[in-house]
Amino acid sequence: MSQTVQIPNICEFMNRHLLDVFETMLSMKAVGAPWDGVPQFDERVTGCVAFAGERINGAVYLHLGAPFAAQVAAAMLGLTPADLGEPEVNDVVGEATNMLTGGLKSWLCDSGIECAVSTPAIIRGSAFAIEPVPDVSREWLLFNCGANRVVVEIHIKLG
Amino acid sequence: MATKILSVDDSRTIRLIVGKAFRPYDCTVLEACNGEEGLATAAREKPDLIILDVTMPVMDGVTMLTKLKEDPALKAIPVIMLTAESGRENVLLIAKLGVRDYLVKPFKEDQLIEKAGRCVTLEKRPVAAPAPTPA
Repeated sequence: MSQTVQIPNICEFMNRHLLDVFETMLSMKAVGAPWDGVPQFDERVTGCVAFAGERINGAVYLHLGAPFAAQVAAAMLGLTPADLGEPEVNDVVGEATNMLTGGLKSWLCDSGIECAVSTPAIIRGSAFAIEPVPDVSREWLLFNCGANRVVVEIHIKLG
Repeated sequence: MATKILSVDDSRTIRLIVGKAFRPYDCTVLEACNGEEGLATAAREKPDLIILDVTMPVMDGVTMLTKLKEDPALKAIPVIMLTAESGRENVLLIAKLGVRDYLVKPFKEDQLIEKAGRCVTLEKRPVAAPAPTPA
């Protein structure tokens, strides 16, 4: 079964799964959008969860603008953005990234590709870029959530 | 007496969501951020239900569950596993360890309440009477 798993299948799964995470945990409707370049965020909160197995490795990054990350955190916790500090917002973005990657892990395992996932890490800032290591494919998925942009960046190496 | 629920998760977000979900009910929600703390809290507080994450640092949920089931004083406490991983292998593994139920993240709060309600009695908190209006 694993021979059917290719990078486009992974992207297709992640496209569906992000919509599910946003709808279920946040009651927010996200809509897939055509890729038109990396959105410019004044300040960005990025969650990262790595995955690794004998036949696959890589990482999932969830990029949100900082004001929208606060809205996402407030929606998940049933609070208002004003009630939340950076640690709470970071934790929510990390958890959302964990849910995205956990879903991917389950889908891969059910397709015959075992892997393990890391705990989430958070990068917060306005001017940083993530460089993939050599031989790793980099995929970008773009979503609109109201007026906000959600970016999922996936680094994948299939063995 | 309020139902005691222990939420064991390394994510503060998930512990907050679990606490929020049970807020309308007559429950005390206790928290632990890894399996080691979870076992210690379970031994001390004897909760009526444990909501347990799988992937955690220090001691993961599978190890905590295994130790819980080996302890005669704690093994009867029902456990609902809360996991971001729904793969068949993972579900089979946790089912073999004797969990009462499991819930895959992302989840809705009412799904958690429904599953918890099958394990323990959940009674709505009485609505506080409005303060009397001064004459």
